[in-house]
Amino acid sequence: MTDDPILIFESVVKRYGDLTALDGVSLTLRRGEVVCLIGPSGSGKSTLLRCANALDPVDEGRIRFDGHEVKSTESSVRLVRQRMGMVFQNFELFPHLTVLRNITIGPTTVLKLGHAAADERAKKLLAKVGLSDKALSYPSALSGGQQQRVAIARALAMEPALMLFDEPTSALDPETIGEVLSVMKTLADEGMTMLVVTHEMDFARRVADRVAVFDKGRVIEEGAPQEIFTNARVARTRDFLSHLGWHGEGAASVSKREEA
Amino acid sequence: MDINIQPILQSWPFLLKALMMTILVSALSTLLGFAIGVIVGALRTYGGRFANIVLGFYVDSMRAIPLLVILVWTFFAFPLVIGHSINAVTAGIVGLGLHLGAYVSETIRAGLTSVRRNQMQAALALGMSPFQAIRTIILPQAVIRMLPALGSLCVIAIKDSAIASVIAVPELLRQTQIVAGKTFRPFELYTAAMLCYFILCYPMARGVDRLYRRLAHLGSS
Ligand SMILES: Nc1ncnc2c1ncn2[C@@H]1O[C@H](COP(=O)(O)OP(=O)(O)OP(=O)(O)O)[C@@H](O)[C@H]1O
Ligand SMILES: [Mg+2]
Repeated sequence: MTDDPILIFESVVKRYGDLTALDGVSLTLRRGEVVCLIGPSGSGKSTLLRCANALDPVDEGRIRFDGHEVKSTESSVRLVRQRMGMVFQNFELFPHLTVLRNITIGPTTVLKLGHAAADERAKKLLAKVGLSDKALSYPSALSGGQQQRVAIARALAMEPALMLFDEPTSALDPETIGEVLSVMKTLADEGMTMLVVTHEMDFARRVADRVAVFDKGRVIEEGAPQEIFTNARVARTRDFLSHLGWHGEGAASVSKREEA
Repeated sequence: MDINIQPILQSWPFLLKALMMTILVSALSTLLGFAIGVIVGALRTYGGRFANIVLGFYVDSMRAIPLLVILVWTFFAFPLVIGHSINAVTAGIVGLGLHLGAYVSETIRAGLTSVRRNQMQAALALGMSPFQAIRTIILPQAVIRMLPALGSLCVIAIKDSAIASVIAVPELLRQTQIVAGKTFRPFELYTAAMLCYFILCYPMARGVDRLYRRLAHLGSS
């Protein structure tokens, strides 16, 4: 991790009619950093990710990516999106395309990469996510965990500088969550910059460099995972963590022991 | 009733040509109708309010005017607008295509709106333009989902080509009428024509159904 910021949210406000989904969010991601966003349902986490790559326009404040302002009105937004991979809660693989084509369609249509080169890139990524044998299957033939790993490969095929994950494991059966988290852990270890919305507290504790806690469209607390999980300063954070069944230091050290 | 297929045997080259004309008119009007339908359907879905209103007017008028009237108007009245006559085959293809296009556009529109919003977001998130996203991601899924309805429209296009006989397009029904009138054998000739339409349409309807059953899973995101 360097000190070099890659994605900066500056007092971002986003409204849907009367509802203020983001109420002045400021957050900075440095290159190579993994930041986990946690917070109750409806607090604006998904909205923040959609604003990051301008799938939703912001109403106030600004977002800077790699030195340039992200504006949904500009055609440059497509260049920003090419360099930000996005992984959705419900995978959103393209059902009419094979696994291989799901991964190559970005590089061939957007980056104008040749089919041979794109196929080669896709095959390497499939090997990386452990699905080399599924290249010619259609998404409907895959389990949830497999689909999500393909979705990660699809995003990586664009060789992004940053990955956005929106609750990548919350639509999965418990037994397939691990395979997706371990792919994400590998990415983090390789130095990928990641902004991850997750309810997997154990993942956040082990992989995140920082955790930001969201509530009602604001970051109410931000810090190293140890601080947040064992020593949250804000009462609302402690409430939220105990709702998820996380009970501070004791629980954390128990699961640490289990791991060892 | 004695049956005499002699007239059919005698004039089969003439009737075969007529059958070919039916196939040609159906194929070209289907092509035109689908091209119009995809463009109009996509523009009404994604092109904003103004495009939606203007094209909605086209769709509604095509649905409110009998096909027979559209064909007659295209052949007899439209030439007065442009100042020179058009041949019956062209008028037939254009009239049938314009009419079919309205129905195809409604089907395509229903298909496009049925694809989950997040599919578009996933495509845009890869850096695709909205046009690329519609063409490569949303439209193919919409077409697969709407395959049964689109198949019915193809069959209807073949059947409706018979209406072009009123503007003297030398297609199957029109030419059968001529031979039937000359030979006084309406039963044999019209039965043969009916069989021809059935043989054209039935495999088409069945084929699309089977195709849909094989492809349905590719359209369900
Ligand atoms: N397109 C939209 N139109 C209107 N309101 C929206 C839209 N998207 C989100 N919202 C509202 O904005 C608020 C924040 O939603 P968001 O999806 O960002 O929350 P979240 O933190 O991701 O919640 P969850 O954990 O349930 O995914 C919610 O109240 C939601 O209803
Ligand atoms: Mg969400």
